[in-house]
Amino acid sequence: MMRNQTVKSWRSAEQWLLGSMVLALAMAAFIWLVLGPAPAAPAYLTAVVLLIASLLASLFMMLRVGTTRRQMEAVLHGRARAEQHAIEALRHSEAQWKEVFEHNPVMYFMVDAAGTVLSVNTFGAAQLGYAVSELLGQSVLKVFPAEEQHAARSNVAICLENIGQTHSWEICKVRKDGSALWVRENAKAVRRVDNQLIVLIACEDVTERKQAENALRQSEMYLAEAQRLSHTGSFGWGAGSGEIFWSEETFRMFGFDKAPSIKFATVMQRVHPDDRARVQRTIDCASSDGKDFEHGYRLLMPDGAVKHVHATGHAVTDASGGVEFVGAVTDVTARKQAEVELHEAQTNLAHVTRVTALGEMAASIAHEVNQPLAAVVTNAAACLRWLDREPANLKEARSTVQSIVKDGNRAGEVIQRVRALANKTADQKAPLRVNEVVNEVISLVQHDLLSHRVALRLELAPALPPVLADRIQLQQVILNLVVNGIEAMQPVKDRPHELVIGTRQDESQVLVTVSDCGVGVAAENADRLFDAFFTTKSSGMGMGLSICRSIVDAHGGRLSASGNVGPGATFQFTLPLHQEGST
Amino acid sequence: MTGRPASPHTLASAEEPVVFVVDDDASMRDALSNLFRSVGLRVEVFGSAHEFLQSTLPNVASCLILDIRLPRLSGLDFQAELAKADIHIPIIFMTGHGDIPMTVRAMKAGAVDFLTKPFRDQDMLDAVTTAIERDRVSRDEARMLAGLHARFATLTPREREVMALVTTGLMNKQIAAQIGIAEITVKIHRGHIMRKMAAKSLPDLVRMAEMLGIGPASGGPQT
Repeated sequence: MMRNQTVKSWRSAEQWLLGSMVLALAMAAFIWLVLGPAPAAPAYLTAVVLLIASLLASLFMMLRVGTTRRQMEAVLHGRARAEQHAIEALRHSEAQWKEVFEHNPVMYFMVDAAGTVLSVNTFGAAQLGYAVSELLGQSVLKVFPAEEQHAARSNVAICLENIGQTHSWEICKVRKDGSALWVRENAKAVRRVDNQLIVLIACEDVTERKQAENALRQSEMYLAEAQRLSHTGSFGWGAGSGEIFWSEETFRMFGFDKAPSIKFATVMQRVHPDDRARVQRTIDCASSDGKDFEHGYRLLMPDGAVKHVHATGHAVTDASGGVEFVGAVTDVTARKQAEVELHEAQTNLAHVTRVTALGEMAASIAHEVNQPLAAVVTNAAACLRWLDREPANLKEARSTVQSIVKDGNRAGEVIQRVRALANKTADQKAPLRVNEVVNEVISLVQHDLLSHRVALRLELAPALPPVLADRIQLQQVILNLVVNGIEAMQPVKDRPHELVIGTRQDESQVLVTVSDCGVGVAAENADRLFDAFFTTKSSGMGMGLSICRSIVDAHGGRLSASGNVGPGATFQFTLPLHQEGST
Repeated sequence: MTGRPASPHTLASAEEPVVFVVDDDASMRDALSNLFRSVGLRVEVFGSAHEFLQSTLPNVASCLILDIRLPRLSGLDFQAELAKADIHIPIIFMTGHGDIPMTVRAMKAGAVDFLTKPFRDQDMLDAVTTAIERDRVSRDEARMLAGLHARFATLTPREREVMALVTTGLMNKQIAAQIGIAEITVKIHRGHIMRKMAAKSLPDLVRMAEMLGIGPASGGPQT
């Protein structure tokens, strides 16, 4: 159009030039005709010159105009080609964009305000299992499951209310085959040139992420359930930052409401006051050394209940090089309870067994001894009657006394047999180290010491020479003294319960002492302390110390008791040193 | 050691009471034997219940001293067995360690005494005296009852009938009316009854009828 105008204008310029040249020639001819063929020469000449000059000027002008027009035409031609090129490029670009739109691995939808699909890319349609043609003109709700259709509709409505603003959401679509496709949609409503409102939607497939999230959520749920069932909670603790993260079960166990993180001081508040210092020490050690830790402690709940928990922490180095602990804490209250009950049952059983065995033995001995004793008594009575007769029957009396002697000896034999029985177990003597035996006993009474809140102090002399003794019997003696000591301290409420076991060498023997700070030994009982069946305990048999003394005696030692300068009593026994080659 | 020591009282032979001792302990047997001999009691000792049952028991007042803790058959079971065999001999138990349930069981089953070893000799002798006396009484009663039964057996059926009615306190006339015989006949029967039963008086006859367990409804003794 422009080009045509330009060409037209140039054409008119040429016409004007030609016209002016014709006019100039006409003027010259007129002048020549009017003035005659020989006018005054100069004026004529001037006119001719002027004519020629104007002709020349016209000619020159024409040449100039022609050149300019050619140049203009060249320019115009170049411009048309450029335009052609531009159109070509545009077409190419459109095809490329179309390509991008169609095959970009993102689903695009263009829907109108009513939700009718105006456009969808091939990739998107294919992702949903449709051909493009199957979706065009259809309601976009077709690709949403029934339960998501409401959300889809309201999402489009929101976009339409805020034209030009981008909105994004996650929604589940349904493929043609019915399978679910989770997408993240970015959408925006725009007004087209023809004033129609459309909504452009780009959808990114997040199905995998969604599945992973679901799997994670499920796995978390399983974990939480497993923790709840096993009464085991987990924790994370940054030693440097002091941040503590707990699982739900840990919160439940400690009786706190679930929170993103919890303070160390709050945790310590829950720890039983008696265990606080110990827990603090363990934690301090672990955080300063960066080593794994494991400890058991009690929790004092707000309602006064006591829980036993067992915690283990594994040290890991975090990204910034700081130490972090990951661990588990288990509620072992029920187990502890069972342990205590088991121990009680064992103790009771052991006691009953001991008493029963002892009772049976005593009954048996009593019967064995009683039989000849009854005979002796009856014979003695008969003998008196023989003697009381008038006259006394000395023959019968003599034979009766002989019977008495015989039965008396028989009773003695019974006693001998019992003693032999007791001695039979004392034949296992071997050189052994007293300190070892003491330590073995301590391991046996650990539970008693703890449950009776007894602090044990050991004063064992190093490098004691061995003694010749029966290990089991020696254990029995020490055990008996230790248990007596623990029991003696039970009624004491106003001072700490401390038990001291000491060993030392005293010339050619080893001295073992067991001291308590209990009720001590009343002066009137001191003499009978080691008698059989003598006891001040309501549940005691009164056999312990008596047996201990006979064992120590059998080892060539001596067991004695003495009151302490302070409260309590000390029991001590000696054992001769083992002489090489004396056995 | 089950020897039977010769009785120091040779004169009183058959009627002399005897003490039986059953104990598995020989010393105890000898001691008891010695004790009873020293007071002039006849004694026989046995080592087991079996031995005792094997021997023939003399028909004299006697008692049995039994250790409760016998091998195989316990004293209490032995007591039950004797009762079953209808041997009613007074028993004195001895035990090394008597407990209350055992004592109660023994006493309920008719034991005379329960002595714990070692016992006082006088306690044992007192128990034996009591037991023998009890046996003597029951033997006398049994003997008398046997005599009664023997005499009662000599009565004719009519005499038994009349005796039952007489001992309930009926007069001759009433008896005659009840059994449909003459009063004089009742009188004759009564005379025979008194003579055959060796009754000294009517009350004596009534006592005999009681011992025999004769009532007006029955024609014979209810034993």
